[in-house]
Amino acid sequence: MGRPSEAAGMEALHQLKSTEPPQWLAPSASLSESARAASQHLFASLRPHVRKSPFDELLVDNFDAEQIWQQIDLLTQPLVRSIRRRVKHWEKNPAEIENLLPEVADGGKKVAQGKKMEEIDDDDDDDGGDMDMDDDDDDDDEEMDVDNDGEQDGGKDEGDESEEEEEEKSGGIEDKFLKIKELQEHLEDEEARHYGLDAKNKKSKKKSGSKKLEDEDDDSEEGEEDKEEDDDEDEEVDLFAGGDDEDEEDEMGNARYEDFFGKKKGGSEPKPRFKDELGEDSSSGEEEKEEELSSDDDDDEEEDDDENVNKKPKVLSTHEKEVQKIKSEIEKMEKANLDPKTWTMQGEVTAANRPKNSALEVDLDFEHNVRPVPVITEEVTQSLEEIIKKRIIEGQFDDIKRAPGLPSKAPRELKPVDENKSNKGLAEVYEEEFVQQTDPAAAPLSFSDEQKKEASTLFKKLCLKLDALSHFHFAPKPIIEDMSIQSNVPALAMEEIAPVAVSDAAMLAPEEVFSGKGNVKAEVELTQTERKRRRAKKKRKFKAVETKKMASKKAREDELRKQKEAAGNGEEQ
Amino acid sequence: MSDGKVQFRKVSVPPHRYTPLKKAWMEIYTPVYEQMKIDIRMNLKARKVELKTRVDTPDISNLQKCADFVHAFMMGFDVIDAVALLRMDELYVDSFEIKDVKTLKGEHKSRAIGRLSGKGGKTKFSIENATKTRIVLADEKIHILGSFRNIKIARDALCSLILGAPPGKVNSKLRQVTARSAELF
Repeated sequence: MGRPSEAAGMEALHQLKSTEPPQWLAPSASLSESARAASQHLFASLRPHVRKSPFDELLVDNFDAEQIWQQIDLLTQPLVRSIRRRVKHWEKNPAEIENLLPEVADGGKKVAQGKKMEEIDDDDDDDGGDMDMDDDDDDDDEEMDVDNDGEQDGGKDEGDESEEEEEEKSGGIEDKFLKIKELQEHLEDEEARHYGLDAKNKKSKKKSGSKKLEDEDDDSEEGEEDKEEDDDEDEEVDLFAGGDDEDEEDEMGNARYEDFFGKKKGGSEPKPRFKDELGEDSSSGEEEKEEELSSDDDDDEEEDDDENVNKKPKVLSTHEKEVQKIKSEIEKMEKANLDPKTWTMQGEVTAANRPKNSALEVDLDFEHNVRPVPVITEEVTQSLEEIIKKRIIEGQFDDIKRAPGLPSKAPRELKPVDENKSNKGLAEVYEEEFVQQTDPAAAPLSFSDEQKKEASTLFKKLCLKLDALSHFHFAPKPIIEDMSIQSNVPALAMEEIAPVAVSDAAMLAPEEVFSGKGNVKAEVELTQTERKRRRAKKKRKFKAVETKKMASKKAREDELRKQKEAAGNGEEQ
Repeated sequence: MSDGKVQFRKVSVPPHRYTPLKKAWMEIYTPVYEQMKIDIRMNLKARKVELKTRVDTPDISNLQKCADFVHAFMMGFDVIDAVALLRMDELYVDSFEIKDVKTLKGEHKSRAIGRLSGKGGKTKFSIENATKTRIVLADEKIHILGSFRNIKIARDALCSLILGAPPGKVNSKLRQVTARSAELF
């Protein structure tokens, strides 16, 4: 870990300063290296001023940003304190500054002193600013993540330089006694002591960016609302940080005798007054803090920024504030209750009890018992007409239909009255009636039954005919066993109705055609013996028939002869 | 035989029923003599049918029944219809005249009679069949043979006809009535 030379350190600083802001967005090794070198250089330059410090030099190799920062912190905290004390001391005794700078020439002493003082002041301010910045940044880094320590230092350097330029332009009012910048800072420090971090915030806000987190964190123990209010106002104000500066400078320019020495009364009031004015200008809502002007300054001197919370004993605590709020609300409500109510809240209000035309302004809600008159527009009439047309086309009129009565009993069978002379005698009529009453089963069929029977037979006949028309789903006739001659004719000839399909199957089944028994063989299949047998059989048959014939013939002839003989005999005798 | 005496009934025969009586004598005689056990004879001179109880007549009411039977025949009913009187107790004969219903003269009366019978007698027959009665229209007189309720229905129908109701209306009413009466049983 070789300690780099001062030149290298300065070079590193210059390099940091010269880098473009966008380059800081991405982490780069070279920038980190140079930052570390710069920090080391600065650390080394500060080290001699600190009496006791654990580190002789800043250890950067392979150290985390956090660790480096902690080292710087350890070094700078006591240093800051001591420097601040010294600055205050010099503020009170400006003569001692001259002693610090022995190399100042006598001729241009005043100017040089002035300039030097300016420079010193600037340096001091810068250092103070740096230290302040460091302190502030220390606080910041508790929340904010900063990768490179050197970035902020570089940034601060730039900011300081810009401010130096600004300050030199301030105007011709300043002389060795009245340095406006000095005055400003003094006053701000005073404010900071009395009011907390606000002044310092402003200062730092001018240079860097936001200090909101810091403020909120520090003031968490105090009334947060206060701080937030103040922060808001400070933020509001700090948005116009540059403008504020100029305003204050203008006011400084317009400073009058009365401001410093009062209206020929005394000189004890200028500061408070000035502070009042500043207080009003800078933060309008800080009325509470005017109460604290009389508070002790000594208490606040040794406090760090972190402990500003305890500086305001007169500010109300949260609970007290809440109680106040509630009280005010209660008062309001009580007042409202005591006052006479508005006419809308009273019960029944006649026209005389309320202002003229007041009912028009109020949204009254009441029940309308009447249906609102329908506004007849073209669309309404059209829709109606369409409905009418549709209904007419459909024939759907909402006619009342007679509700069908429940059929409690079977409908009477209305037999038509016979207009012919009845065949039965009266006695038989009554006889039938009597029988029907006593024994319904045995009663002869009534007229309706006969009709039913007739109807059923007719229907059966009809069904039969219809079935015949559907050919292959033919339901055959009911089997009435009677003889019918079936001739062996193809089916085509039998069907009369135009058939969809024709079958040429013979009417008779093969077994009906066949007349014979046994195992019938075809002509070609017969063997010799079978043929012989067949022939022999045939011959026998033939012979039998022949003999029969002969016999019968003979018998006849014999008879004839006998008759003839008989006849002849008869004639002879 | 109620008190040991022989009882008589005499039924006069109107001239227009003389020949029919002759023709249907046996049919009349047989049930009266055989089943009712009543002696019956025709007195030609007096032109009356005489009825007399016998010794073995079971009930004196038989005589009355036979008398009614013969009387019904004389009114104009057929023997077959009149025999119902012998067989059933609850049958009655009701007679009334047209002039009882409405005073009609001349052609109106003729028309009324025509209305009553209808074309070919169909109105009369329809009433007969619907109400299970037998009706005899004898010019002015109307006789109805049947049970009491049926007689009433028939009489109402006939009266409405006499009064001038069209036959169709009478028919429809008859139908309703008969259907209702049929439901009752």
